Amino acid sequence: MARNAKQWNTPPDPNRIEWADSRIYSDTEIFEEELEKIWKKVWIPVCHESELPEPYDFRTVSIAREPVIVCRDADDRIRAFLNVCPHRANLIERRPSGSFKDGTPSGNPRNMTCMFHAWQFDMKGRCVHISRGEEGYQDRLSPKDVGLRRLRCEVAFGGMVWVTLDDHIEHSVREWVGSALDCILDPIEAEPLEIFHYHKAIIPSNYKLWHDTNSEFYHDFVHYHNRVTGFNDAYFARKNMTFDNGHVVVGSFEVRYDQYEGFESREALSFPTLPPNNWYMIDIFPGINYNLRGSALRVDLMTPLSADEVMIEFRGLGLKKDTEEERLTRIRHHNTIWGPMGRNLHEDLLSITGQGVTMRPGTEPRRILHGRHENETIHDEIGMRHYYDEWSRWMGRPLHNPTNRPAMAAE
Amino acid sequence: MARTSRGANHVAAVEAVRDTVYRACLLLDDERWSDWLDLCDAEFYYKITAYSPEIRRDVLYLDGDREQVAQMCELLPKHNTDHSPLKRHAVVYTVDVGDDDGSAKAVTSFVIYQNMLDGVNSHIDAGANHLFAVGRYLDDFAIEDNAARFVSREVRLETRRLDKGTHWPL
Repeated sequence: MARNAKQWNTPPDPNRIEWADSRIYSDTEIFEEELEKIWKKVWIPVCHESELPEPYDFRTVSIAREPVIVCRDADDRIRAFLNVCPHRANLIERRPSGSFKDGTPSGNPRNMTCMFHAWQFDMKGRCVHISRGEEGYQDRLSPKDVGLRRLRCEVAFGGMVWVTLDDHIEHSVREWVGSALDCILDPIEAEPLEIFHYHKAIIPSNYKLWHDTNSEFYHDFVHYHNRVTGFNDAYFARKNMTFDNGHVVVGSFEVRYDQYEGFESREALSFPTLPPNNWYMIDIFPGINYNLRGSALRVDLMTPLSADEVMIEFRGLGLKKDTEEERLTRIRHHNTIWGPMGRNLHEDLLSITGQGVTMRPGTEPRRILHGRHENETIHDEIGMRHYYDEWSRWMGRPLHNPTNRPAMAAE
Repeated sequence: MARTSRGANHVAAVEAVRDTVYRACLLLDDERWSDWLDLCDAEFYYKITAYSPEIRRDVLYLDGDREQVAQMCELLPKHNTDHSPLKRHAVVYTVDVGDDDGSAKAVTSFVIYQNMLDGVNSHIDAGANHLFAVGRYLDDFAIEDNAARFVSREVRLETRRLDKGTHWPL
């Protein structure tokens, strides 16, 4: 029976079924607070080490609107800094990646140069040149006063470069992730990895809706591929396991790739120690996803742009030691499901686009059900509930009334 | 391979290549995948590639031989997809015919528009056009009886931001 406004807006009994007020996805004040309280306080894997393989290579990214530059020094160490000139706050490097080995129109080789006034910095973030410094600043300011803002940076978990804006973060990356990635640690750390795929999508939807999709597999029904390659007793027995700090692991089973016409087993190129055709998926709070399907590793990073817009970067990785033929096969395996024209990715993006429409800022609050209980297996929504327990802890906001304002219902 | 005074066969070969490229655009626009594949040789190989300056590597987004592409197209109705049709605007820039007039290479510049049907909210977006992708078709042809058939097509994209998009060949 369809419901009238009063019935539609009557919240479910939280003792019977878990739900969240949709303003967690649409309220602009909550979004700004999330950037401050969460995104500026956690570790973010901004790129892979193979994206800057040589000394003086760099990669530019951003975290919570703050521009960040990652570069490799002559000693092979990777460091991260704010990509902001201490002089007049211009962006220092504008390209997405490159090398500082060669000079630039305004600067010397092996330095980062702000083109605006040609201040230069080395790979350790030290200011090494202020143009006409003595003439302008006399003894009031010297290069040692104007180094870059360094950021804590660690390379971990398959060679991802993790950066945090918080100097005082309590955990190392390994402590922060804890044992959530243990299930794929041997496969992704037995050999150096190398990136082979990158593309991005910007979706008009809240970032948490993408993470929700990765945290529950009940959305298998959108994927023809999953239905024909899974959906057996072993599939439904996969456990959805929760870990400290809001992380979630979806356990593995043997995917029957041969059930999808034209697809093949991934067995011959399994990641080291990974059982053939197995598939693990790990969601790291607040918006990171590791996805290991047999022969290819996918790592997604979300960059929230506004309450109703998110950029998702998709990376595919193989073994650095791959032969040309092996690499091509891995890429094909990756693309069939996860490429931009792959079977599944487009369907996932369509799904959260639709959610974004109904949860635009200003739309009426809705009750979003997180209440499937299925013995903590794959279609159980325990992953979402676990994520939002963590989210509430960081935000100090209850899920049922996150804005502390009554839900204005049309009646 | 230069266009010199090589006679009527050469001119016919150039025209055949242009005709095949433009016919393919119309068939792809109309989602007539099987008819498009009829323009392709049995040895046809298709791929979508790009250079990613983000990771400073060539990337392969999709590839397959004729059978694999046909199989993919046949399965498309089983998949959920955006309903907005893609429409191409293409210009054949160069056609280089082989010395025996039996083969050719062509470079075609294209833009692909999404003629919005779903859009984000179809109530607002349907009917609008959205630039979906920019790139070049790098095609190889076999020419026989004044007809050109695709032997290979590389869809070389400049676009690397691919939002909710498509399962379809471009």
